[in-house]
Amino acid sequence: MSGTKPDILWAPHQVDRFVVCDSELSLYHVESTVNSELKAGSLRLSEDSAATLLSINSETPYMKCVAWYLSYDPECLLAVGQANGRVVLTSLGQDHNSKFRDLIGKEFVPKHARQCNTLAWNPLDSNWLAAGLDKHRADFSVLIWDICSKYTPDIVPMEKVRLSVGETETSLLVTKPLYELGQNDACLSLCWLPRDQKLLLAGMHRNLAIFDLRNTSQKMFVNTKAVQGVTVDPYFHDRVASFYEGQVAIWDLRKFEKPVLTLTEQPKPLTKVAWCPTRTGLLATLTRDSNIIRLYDMQHTPTPIGDETEPTIIERSVQPCDNYIASFAWHPTSQNRMIVVTPNRTMSDFTVFERISLAWSPITSLMWACGRHLYECAEEENDNSLEKDIATKMRLRALSRYGLDTEQVWRNHILAGNEDPQLKSLWYTLHYILFMKQYTEDMDQKSPGNKGSLVYAGIKSIVKSSLGMVESSRHNWSGLDKQSDIQNLNEERILALQLCGWIKKGTDVDVGPFLNSLVQEGEWERAAAVALFNLDIRRAIQILNEGASSGKGDLNLNVVAMALSGYTDEKNSLWREMCSTLRLQLNNPYLCVMFAFLTSEAGSYDGVLYENKVAVRDRVAFACKFLSDSQLNRYIEKLTNEMKDAGNLEGILLTGLTKDGVDLMESYVDRTGDVQTASYCMLQCMKVKSESEVAQSCPTLSDLMDCSPPASSVHGIFQGSPLDVLKDERVQYWIENYRNLLDAWRFWHKRAEFDIHRSKLDPSSKPLAQVFVSCNFCGKSISYSCSTVPHQGRGFSQYGVSGSPTKSKVTSCPGCRKPLPRCALCLINMGTPVSSCPGGSKSDEKVDLSKDKKLAQFNNWFTWCHNCRHGGHAGHMLSWFRDHAECPVSACTCKCMQLDTTGNLVPAETVQP
Amino acid sequence: MFVARSIAADHKDLIHDVSFDFHGRRMATCSSDQSVKTHSGSVWRVTWAHPEFGQVLASCSFDRTAAVWEEIVGESNDKLRGQSHWVKRTTLVDSRTSVTDVKFAPKHMGLMLATCSADGIVRIYEAPDVMNLSQWSLQHEISCKLSCSCISWNPSSSRAHAPMIAVGSDDSSPNAMAKVQIFEYNENTRKYAKAETLLTVTDPVHDIAFAPNLGRSFHILAIATKDVRIFTLKPVRKELTSSGGPTKFEIHIVAQFDNHNSQVWRVSWNITGTVLASSGDDGCVRLWKANYMDNWKCTGILKGNGSPVNGSSQQGNSNPSIGSNIPSLQNSLNGSSAGRYFFPPLDSPRAGSRWSSYAQLLPPPPPPPLIEHSCDADTASLQYPHPRRRSLSRPLNPLPENEGV
Repeated sequence: MSGTKPDILWAPHQVDRFVVCDSELSLYHVESTVNSELKAGSLRLSEDSAATLLSINSETPYMKCVAWYLSYDPECLLAVGQANGRVVLTSLGQDHNSKFRDLIGKEFVPKHARQCNTLAWNPLDSNWLAAGLDKHRADFSVLIWDICSKYTPDIVPMEKVRLSVGETETSLLVTKPLYELGQNDACLSLCWLPRDQKLLLAGMHRNLAIFDLRNTSQKMFVNTKAVQGVTVDPYFHDRVASFYEGQVAIWDLRKFEKPVLTLTEQPKPLTKVAWCPTRTGLLATLTRDSNIIRLYDMQHTPTPIGDETEPTIIERSVQPCDNYIASFAWHPTSQNRMIVVTPNRTMSDFTVFERISLAWSPITSLMWACGRHLYECAEEENDNSLEKDIATKMRLRALSRYGLDTEQVWRNHILAGNEDPQLKSLWYTLHYILFMKQYTEDMDQKSPGNKGSLVYAGIKSIVKSSLGMVESSRHNWSGLDKQSDIQNLNEERILALQLCGWIKKGTDVDVGPFLNSLVQEGEWERAAAVALFNLDIRRAIQILNEGASSGKGDLNLNVVAMALSGYTDEKNSLWREMCSTLRLQLNNPYLCVMFAFLTSEAGSYDGVLYENKVAVRDRVAFACKFLSDSQLNRYIEKLTNEMKDAGNLEGILLTGLTKDGVDLMESYVDRTGDVQTASYCMLQCMKVKSESEVAQSCPTLSDLMDCSPPASSVHGIFQGSPLDVLKDERVQYWIENYRNLLDAWRFWHKRAEFDIHRSKLDPSSKPLAQVFVSCNFCGKSISYSCSTVPHQGRGFSQYGVSGSPTKSKVTSCPGCRKPLPRCALCLINMGTPVSSCPGGSKSDEKVDLSKDKKLAQFNNWFTWCHNCRHGGHAGHMLSWFRDHAECPVSACTCKCMQLDTTGNLVPAETVQP
Repeated sequence: MFVARSIAADHKDLIHDVSFDFHGRRMATCSSDQSVKTHSGSVWRVTWAHPEFGQVLASCSFDRTAAVWEEIVGESNDKLRGQSHWVKRTTLVDSRTSVTDVKFAPKHMGLMLATCSADGIVRIYEAPDVMNLSQWSLQHEISCKLSCSCISWNPSSSRAHAPMIAVGSDDSSPNAMAKVQIFEYNENTRKYAKAETLLTVTDPVHDIAFAPNLGRSFHILAIATKDVRIFTLKPVRKELTSSGGPTKFEIHIVAQFDNHNSQVWRVSWNITGTVLASSGDDGCVRLWKANYMDNWKCTGILKGNGSPVNGSSQQGNSNPSIGSNIPSLQNSLNGSSAGRYFFPPLDSPRAGSRWSSYAQLLPPPPPPPLIEHSCDADTASLQYPHPRRRSLSRPLNPLPENEGV
């Protein structure tokens, strides 16, 4: 041990102790600091461990190498190899066992003094200690000592006497080794081979040699430069590593001629190589002046037999600390744990993690494997929902029947959790669209027009269609003697305002009801702003006061109201000046735009129109009220493109459910991955469509509908009819993805509900009947619901369909009257009770039966195993398979119920709370 | 916030891969053990086919083969009566070197399997008859010129997107080349042709993963190399490109994180492609998520042993009681094997018992005393230690959930 460079050793058995040796030996004790404070005087090793110094032993100078006694008792016995070749046994701490006390201080002296390079305790015979020495003429360089030998030669050689000057207890001197090996050579490294107690592998000068102590005259050797640091793989006893300069050679003792493998050469010379004792095939290497420990993960046992598989080595590196590392030691038992020491004796305790492989489960949990262990990690339930991942959100929304409220469409945003303003806007928009459509269609019957189809196309199209028809006029402010230019509201603008929700349907353009509803919801600022935009400053002030006094609102609203009431029309007033600067400090965007509106020049309302925090619907309604046609068109165009780029669902108000809307939805999906909302929203478009298209495609209906012009005439404006939107690949793809998602979550009931919902709106998506049961004799379907199979030619009605009191025998085929097969369990011909439920065919989803009745019906269904083709009544079969694995038919060994693993899964909804 | 808990499943050996089936109900893990009998080398990867094709697994190994497994129900006369077990249906032996990854193609392409190997060849197999999984025909061989380490299918089922596969290489030879190549199927030539090469990725790539497409107009690709990288590939609309040729992509790197401070080994997307998990040599699992501005951020760090990372605010209050109510399946799980299966219980994911039963693909070489039976080398056994139903004396019912039907 050169004095400057410390080495480190774990105690082989006391797993919480280690020794650092440089010029002296220091014993440390490792403690976990997870649940306790760092004690005074202890050194921090890692985040959760610290070391305390137990004892220092400086009795053995000139240390070159140290090896810890491998047996349990005494625990703290160490062998120290010195620069003069002597090996001294020393101890750290107190060993009370007197049996071993006389071992301590024992010295083993070679014939000629030279440096001791290496020491190795025999793992099987704990008393044997091998020492490797430098070369001295023709002397032996590998000496094996028995530490318990009492033999002290009578004649101590002269030079020994000289060397042991001052040695008082000569009885502790041992000079006769058990074995002497490696004559005329130097030994640089040593290790015992676990295969046999008497096999010793030595890295000699320019060769590796295996000495067999049973026959010391013979040795097996191979010439190589890689003779340093020989070490045996503890998990694979034929595998040995050694190194030379920057290169590590891996040897297989069964084919010792050449290394099976050499690892990529390091630029700097290696100083230590060690196999991990707790894990197969992991070799740690350290080079000089490096802060990195390089790990080689050898996954495969090299086979000596033929097979030229080059073993796969995964190279990794760990950086336990920032300083250079002087030495390291694997913990003998703790998995992949290692301690490193730097030249200035700071230490660090750390664990090498295995490569972690991970996988997400479809439900939102992550599983990973680290080493031999599996861990699972799930998103916490009680989380701030805004931070939740969309996958979790969609799951929860699916469970709360999001999107399925077709009557009160706006309620869907509440089902979605009532937390996302965009979704709120979207569902309100859809609600208004559907609502207005209904209404305008009614109107259309009285006065021809195509507003009905305009509605779903969004405000953008509505505004476009009204180009050049509006003039502005001056309107009086209520409560102020001021006039402002307001656009005359033509039908289109009224429609737009209706879609924005500002005014109700009908010709009434009063915003009163809207204000009241806002006030009720506590949106004081918004209500005040809307009132102001309708030139009713008194109402605005009143609303603000109301808000301030309600307790829920902000008390500062009173202050705002005061400021409002001071409004003056004068251009250069202090009020105006202060408002235009101070308004920017208002937090609430609506308050901000109120002052922006009041301080704006006539005709330029950019402060309101481009305040992004104000809801799009309010800005659009504002624009409809105040902007001229060309301005309005430009503004809407601009806003639409903005919304489309941002994927902001509020923009659906502008685009409607047109191609533009799909574009917008596309960027929304790109941004959020929320295919659920996209699917449901676009299905609403099918609803719009299904009503209008049906109306136009079905001649009888459109005749009734007072000759409304065909929808194609307005396609130019809409960039695609609802049918095109519905058939848009992207829309279909979202729906497909959402259904797939529900399937993966095992939300099969939700998926089925979704499909029903979808087929209601889009009959073309309805799947065809999947299965027919045909009669063995006549080959015809035995289905009683002949209405679903009209192509069968003559109907089955003559054989007694539903409701007919004169049914034929239902246990026989309706076609040929031959009896149907028998249930394998009750041996009754099948079919009997099925007919007792009118219209109770399998494919008929519309039958609304109470739950128990459904069960009863299901119990009588035909079931059969596709594998063995035995079957019977479903109820009987189920009860049979509850206790049996095999088919009830004698001599049939089919495991009918286990054939389909997916079929055995239970939909996830049924187990949700 | 994510909190980790340990699943008691002490393998005797390292777990190389974890894979969930389509429904998230079963999990396969593969590990390395010298004495695994099915593969003669350690099993690198394991992957599930879509349940539409049955309970089918594929594994690939250092022993230069890939194998396809199918779960079947035991015959009535042997002692495995009533239990299902796994049968190796085929061994794909075309590779001359270690097979490093295996992935089933997206469902809509049929039952197809891609493997890649250290000799730099991606092979695409197809089972023309899904009822007969012992026949697989080698459809395509794509030479990548570089030792391949990982592959990923583009999961998009949109007709607008041609089948696409990304290949990563861990070749560490000094002449740096782009380590990620993307191949696309060309309808006209009926061949896979190179569509893109990610020139900026020059370090060895250890894992690669396309995010579930989920209706997006672009593809997201995560790469594990010396850092975590996320690319988006937006197909340039067909009308704009010359028809017939490979699709052109606008490729953007949207995130690059070196927080692992070292090699990144694995990346995995959640079902919506919105959260990415990565693992690296720092022994941590990190979670990445994009905010609404498409800025990716780390939303969670967990140490490989499940403990929270100190100083990470997200991990402040993990519930210490969680770990205790995981039932120990340990005892019956000892032994080494190429694959194990876990069947989570039917109740909600928060329930204490996470996995109620599992199957073991392979018998351990020296059967540990707790395993009650052993079977042939190339069959797999299935065990169902149900924590809530300890009556193991009755024939194990593999369908505990069936009673509610």
